Amino acid sequence: MSFIVQGKSVVKKFGDFVALDHVDIDIENGEVVCIVGPSGSGKSTLLRCINQLEKIDGGGLWVDGELVGYRIAGSALHELDDKQIARQRLATGMVFQRFNLFPHMTALENIIEGPIQVLKRSPQECREQALELLERVGLSDKANAYPVELSGGQQQRVAIARALAMRPRLMLFDEPTSALDPELVGEVLQVMRDLARSGMSMIVVTHELGFAREVANRVVFMDAGQIVETGAPEEILMYPRNERTRGFISAVLN
Amino acid sequence: MQTTTQTPPTSSTELSDYKIVPRRHYGRLLSSLIILGLLGALIHAFANGDIEWSVVGRFLTAKAILWGLGNTVLMSILAMILGVVLGVVFAIMRMSSNSVLRYVAKGYIWFFRGTPIILQLLLWFNLALVFPTLGIPGVFEARTVDVMVPFVAALLGLGINQGAYTAEVVRGGLLSVDNGQYEAAMSIGMTRLKSLRRIVLPQAMRVILPPIGNETISMIKMTSLASVIQYSEILHNAQNIYYANARVMELLIVAGIWYLVVVTIMSFGQRMLERRFARGSGRVDH
Ligand SMILES: Nc1ncnc2c1ncn2[C@@H]1O[C@H](COP(=O)(O)OP(=O)(O)O)[C@@H](O)[C@H]1O
Ligand SMILES: [Mg+2]
Repeated sequence: MSFIVQGKSVVKKFGDFVALDHVDIDIENGEVVCIVGPSGSGKSTLLRCINQLEKIDGGGLWVDGELVGYRIAGSALHELDDKQIARQRLATGMVFQRFNLFPHMTALENIIEGPIQVLKRSPQECREQALELLERVGLSDKANAYPVELSGGQQQRVAIARALAMRPRLMLFDEPTSALDPELVGEVLQVMRDLARSGMSMIVVTHELGFAREVANRVVFMDAGQIVETGAPEEILMYPRNERTRGFISAVLN
Repeated sequence: MQTTTQTPPTSSTELSDYKIVPRRHYGRLLSSLIILGLLGALIHAFANGDIEWSVVGRFLTAKAILWGLGNTVLMSILAMILGVVLGVVFAIMRMSSNSVLRYVAKGYIWFFRGTPIILQLLLWFNLALVFPTLGIPGVFEARTVDVMVPFVAALLGLGINQGAYTAEVVRGGLLSVDNGQYEAAMSIGMTRLKSLRRIVLPQAMRVILPPIGNETISMIKMTSLASVIQYSEILHNAQNIYYANARVMELLIVAGIWYLVVVTIMSFGQRMLERRFARGSGRVDH
């Protein structure tokens, strides 16, 4: 059994505020984990620590077998520099709530930017891969559209393709459908469902409990910076043991 | 004073029976007349004043004037390039997480924005008084007076001063780009510097360009200050001619015409550039 993510007693503070309070989390290769929990419970912070948009203040995080942010040498931990952190980030792809496509580039250019600029792969090869990815997310006809010309759902699908173009080992989704009009949620979830079936390791922060039930191997419930409960989807979503989980689930469902 | 009722007519055909009377812009008409009158008076004064228009025509393409014009344009371009390069570098330093870089940038901006440009030009020009020689000991050395010719002193003075202003313009532009853009760039494996260059700066350009355009235009005129350190730009050369022939007004008009020509061309160029960087913004400004 190999882990794509291992977190041991992870602590993250913003000033005096403890956003992650000794979080332990293990995620296996190929697993799809949905994180649910009330706003402000630290879900985004956990994802951001995993791909080093935030630096942790305690504990340790391993992604794809590598200690995140440090190099171990003897009994010392050496902080990694900007370049090395950028290299470690290649293991993960991130999809944001607000898409964050590059507005000055077309859909295709958004997708090939990383492979060409970071991975230094040939433009021709990148272009072909990008067209395949666009087809996979159902946007073959939008290659030359700028983000402003796309709907929210289309933008988010391009953002997923952009992340996949880097061939990450793990995909992180931070409320990927929360900024979408209700009728556009389905198309994005469909792309994520396909991705999960293809065997990609995924961590998905979401309020879409239906999606979690159907797709997740495991659901994690967070509250106040802690993992309160974790287990199979039906366990957590239908028969939660913890009082706080129960309160949250019934609040979301009603 | 309302004589008609405001109830809508019962059918649209009724409305089409009315004749539309356009608004009268009496104010505009009146102010145009006043402006035309004043303009006429001004032209009259210049036409009847002690101005030899044939002299203006003759000197417009005089060798010394064209040479000066070339120097003005050259210096504007070079100083602006230096200013933009320094501006980008110092803006990035100013926003760095490295506090040493940050303070160096703040100090630079503080000093060069805080002292008059003419003083800075004189400082560079007279640098020999403090550093008689320049260079790296043992590798190469030169007497400062040989290096700090008017051209070099003007370029350093104007360019470095411009950099301090441009740094603030660039910083404003960088701040205008959503933080999510850095995060998206870093999430596809870019370093901070590469994110800046590939993702953030191109977007900041839309905010940066209009003020840079303005500053280029003001740089064209600011080069005239370099006449105090003997740089032979157009105004300096015009002055040299009127010291000899006493045709003060004529030569000032010659210089003025050329400044207007260059600035007008620049303004066109600025508009073209702004259009280019509006790519993907979903908006084309006219
Ligand atoms: N950059 C930050 N500075 C200060 N506080 C932050 C920052 N980011 C997040 N927080 C705080 O940390 C807590 C957890 O935030 P977050 O992980 O975004 O919650 P969630 O995604 O579960 O809604 C919140 O109380 C939030 O206000
Ligand atoms: Mg969040």
